[in-house]
Amino acid sequence: MLKKYFHKIGISALSFFFMFHGILYSQTPADALLMEKGELCIAAMYQNDSWNKYWEGILLRDNKNIGTLSRSNYIPMLAYGLTKRINILATLPYVSTSASGGQMAGTSGFQDLGIFTKVKVMDKSAFQVFTAAGISFPISDYLSDYMPLNLGLGTTEISLRAILKYEYHSKIYFRGSAAYLHRTTTEAERDYYYQDGSIYSTTMDIPDVLSFDAALGCWLWDHDVQLEALVGTQIGQSGDDIRRQNMPQPTNKMDMKNVSGYIRYFPSFTQGFSVFGSVSQVIDGRNVGQSQMITGGITYQFPIFKSTAQ
Amino acid sequence: MSKYLYILCLWVALSIASCNTDYPSGAEYENYQFTNLDQNAGTWKPILLTSNDQIFIPAPEPTTSEAYLSELKTMKTTLASASSNAVYWGCNPIIRWNEIARDLAAKYNLTPAPNDDGTYPSPSAANPGVYPYFPFAHPPYASRAFAYLSAAQFDGLIASWHYKYKYNRPAVHITDPSIVPVFHASDLPSYPSDGAVIAAISREILGAMFPLEKEFLKIKAEEMQKNLISSGINVSSDIIAGDSLGKGVAKVYLKRAVSDGMALAQTNRQVSDSIANAALARFGWKWINQESPVRPVGITPKFGKVKMWNVPNVESVRPGPPPVPGSDAFNVAVEELKSFTKNSTKEQRKIANWWSDGLGTYTPPGHWNRFATDFIIQYKMNPIRSARVFAYLNMAIQDAGISCWDSKYYYHYPRPIQLMEGFKTSLGTPNFPSYTSGHSTFSAAAATVLSYLFPNEKAKCDKWATEASESRIYGGIHFRFDCEAGLEAGKKIGEYAIQKALVDGAD
Repeated sequence: MLKKYFHKIGISALSFFFMFHGILYSQTPADALLMEKGELCIAAMYQNDSWNKYWEGILLRDNKNIGTLSRSNYIPMLAYGLTKRINILATLPYVSTSASGGQMAGTSGFQDLGIFTKVKVMDKSAFQVFTAAGISFPISDYLSDYMPLNLGLGTTEISLRAILKYEYHSKIYFRGSAAYLHRTTTEAERDYYYQDGSIYSTTMDIPDVLSFDAALGCWLWDHDVQLEALVGTQIGQSGDDIRRQNMPQPTNKMDMKNVSGYIRYFPSFTQGFSVFGSVSQVIDGRNVGQSQMITGGITYQFPIFKSTAQ
Repeated sequence: MSKYLYILCLWVALSIASCNTDYPSGAEYENYQFTNLDQNAGTWKPILLTSNDQIFIPAPEPTTSEAYLSELKTMKTTLASASSNAVYWGCNPIIRWNEIARDLAAKYNLTPAPNDDGTYPSPSAANPGVYPYFPFAHPPYASRAFAYLSAAQFDGLIASWHYKYKYNRPAVHITDPSIVPVFHASDLPSYPSDGAVIAAISREILGAMFPLEKEFLKIKAEEMQKNLISSGINVSSDIIAGDSLGKGVAKVYLKRAVSDGMALAQTNRQVSDSIANAALARFGWKWINQESPVRPVGITPKFGKVKMWNVPNVESVRPGPPPVPGSDAFNVAVEELKSFTKNSTKEQRKIANWWSDGLGTYTPPGHWNRFATDFIIQYKMNPIRSARVFAYLNMAIQDAGISCWDSKYYYHYPRPIQLMEGFKTSLGTPNFPSYTSGHSTFSAAAATVLSYLFPNEKAKCDKWATEASESRIYGGIHFRFDCEAGLEAGKKIGEYAIQKALVDGAD
C-alpha cells in the first residue's frame, strides 16, 4: 500500500496551465508532489480556453468583432526525478488561436519552452515545504503584440514559488503556494506605442506577477482517484489598462481570480499510467478574458534506471 | 542546494531591480549649434499672413533703459543651469511641440465603443468631455491638427524674425556677457522671443484642436516661456511681445479653421447613405462597414470637401476609377492578397506591423512628423527652418488626406473583407472605403516634400513611402490598386507643396 501510494505521488508532476491573452500561467511546479530518483514522466495535455467576454480595464464587456476567442493548447511535458528531493520538468506548448467574430486571422505555432525545478526543502510528518524555480522563453518568432490572438507574451519569465502542504492521514490535503513571476520585456514590430503617453521604442515592459493559490484535495478509492478544488489569484505588479474600445497590448496589467476543479485517475490494472481532467473559470479580472478552460491529459511514468528506481 | 537557491533568488531580485527601464518619450538630442540663423527669414513669404507685420508688435525699450536693466536683473536671479526643463525643451522647442501634438493624436485616436443597443455614440465638439470624448483623432483629424500647428508656427516665426531684425535688440548674452545661456549662445536678436511665439501658437492651436487639453497646454506653454528666462535666452519683455505675436497669428489660423469645412466632415447617417447610394448608382458598388454592430457612418465622409492648402481643387488630383469587381485586374489583386495570407514572410509581417499606425497611435501623419524631427536634428536646423519643414510637410499631408478622402467617398470602393468571402486579415480594417489607400497617399506626399527639403534623404524617404504603402497589402486591408493610385496622387500633392516652397524666399 505504501509503495503504491508513493508511486502515485511520484507520477503527479503536473497540474494546471492557464492561458489568458496568451499568458501561460504555468502552475506545473505548484503542486506538492515529487518523483523518485531516476523516474521519468511523459505527459500530453490538451486544453481549450475560450471566452466571449473580457475586462477592458475593470469593465466587463463583450466584443462582437472578436465573438468567442478560443485557444487550443497542446502541451507535451517531460519530468525527471534527479534525486529523491529534486525534480526537473520541461514543457513546450503548441498554441492555436482563433476568433469567431470579425475578420482577424488566428495564429498557431510553438510558444515558450519552460524548464522548472522543484525541490523538497522540508518534510516533517504531515508537513512538507517545497520551492520551485523555473524559466520559460519563446522558441519561435511569434508576435506578442497581436493581442488577443497572440500565441504568448514573447517574454522570458523567471518564476520562484514556495509551496506548503499539509496532509491528513494520507487522505485529505491542503496546499498553498505563493509565487513571483518576473517577466522581462517583449519586442513589438513597431517602434512607437502609447502607454500613458508616447513611447518611442520597440521594447515593451511586461508586468511581473504575484500569484497565490490554495487547494483542497483528497484521495479516494484506495488512492486510485485524486480530487482537488483550487482557488487562485494573479496580480500584475505594474502595467496600464486597455483603453476604451482599444486593443489590449502586452504592457497591460493583467489580474485574475479563478476557481478550478481537478480529477485524476490512476488505473490500478496497469502500472505508471494516469489520466486527468480539469475545468477552470475566471471569476474576476482586469485586462483579461473571462476564460473558461477545459483540460485533459494522460501521463506515463517509468523508471529509466532500474537500479535507482526504488 | 540551499546555496544555489540563494543565488537564484539573488539573481531574480537583481533582474527585477534592473527592469525599470525608461523608454524614450520623444527625441533624445543634445543641444546643438544651429547650422545658421537664417537672418533674412523675416522676408520669407508666410502661408496665411498677408504681410510679415500683419500682427503689430511695438518697438522694445532700449537695452540701456531702466525697464530693460531691471528685467535683466530679475532674469539673473532666476538663472538656473541646465534644469530638467531646460534639457527637455532644448534649443529647438518646435520639436517638443510637434511631439506633444503626436502625443495628443495618439491619446485621442480611439474609436467610439458601441452602446448596449448596438448603436454608436458620436463625439461632440460642443460637449467634448462627454464620452466619446472629442475629438476622435483619426488620421484626417490628426493631419489637420498637425497642419494648422505647423503652418501657424512657421508664419509666427517669419513675423518674429521680421521684428527681431527690424528692432535688433541684441541677444541677452551680448548685452551682458556675464550671462551664459544654457544652450549654445546664438546671436539671434532677442525681441520678440521666438520661443514665446512658438509656445503661444502651439497652446492656442492645439487647445482648439484638443479642447480637453487646454489646461495641460497652458501649463506646458507657461513652463516653456519661464524656462526661456531661466535659461538665459530672453527677458520678460521679449516673452510678452512673443506671446502677443503668437496669439495674434493663432487667431488668423483659427479663423480659417472654423470655416474650412471640417465641422461638416463627419456627416449624419442620411448624408452618408446618400453619398454611398450616389456611388452605387454611378459605379454599381458601395462600401459597407463590416464591423459588428455595423458602424452606420464611416470616418468623415466629407473630409474630401475640406479646404486645401496648396492644391487648387481636389478633382484635379482625383485618380481614375478602380477596377470593376470581377474584372481581370481586380482578380489579380485578389489573388495577390490571398497569397500573402497563405505565405507571408517574416519581413512582410514586420512591414505590415511597422507601418500600421492604427488606433491608439499617432497615425501615419504622426509617423512622418517623427521622421522629419529626426532629420531636423540630424541637420541641426534652427527653429524657423524646422517650422518650415513641418509646415510644408503637414500641409501636403493634410492635402493628401483631403484628396484621398475625396476619392474614398467618391468611388466608395469596398474593402477586401467585403468583396472576398471568408477573407481574414492580420490588420484591422479601418472604417472608411478602400480606394485609395490613406497610408499610400499620406506617405507619398510626405516623402515627396521631405525629399525636396532634405535631398540627401530622398532614397530613404521613397523606400519608406513604398513600404508604408505595401504594408497595407501585406496586412490584407487594401488591394494593390488602392495603394498604387494613392502613391501617385500623393506624389502630385507633394509637388504642389514644393511649388509653394520654391517661391517662399527660403531657398
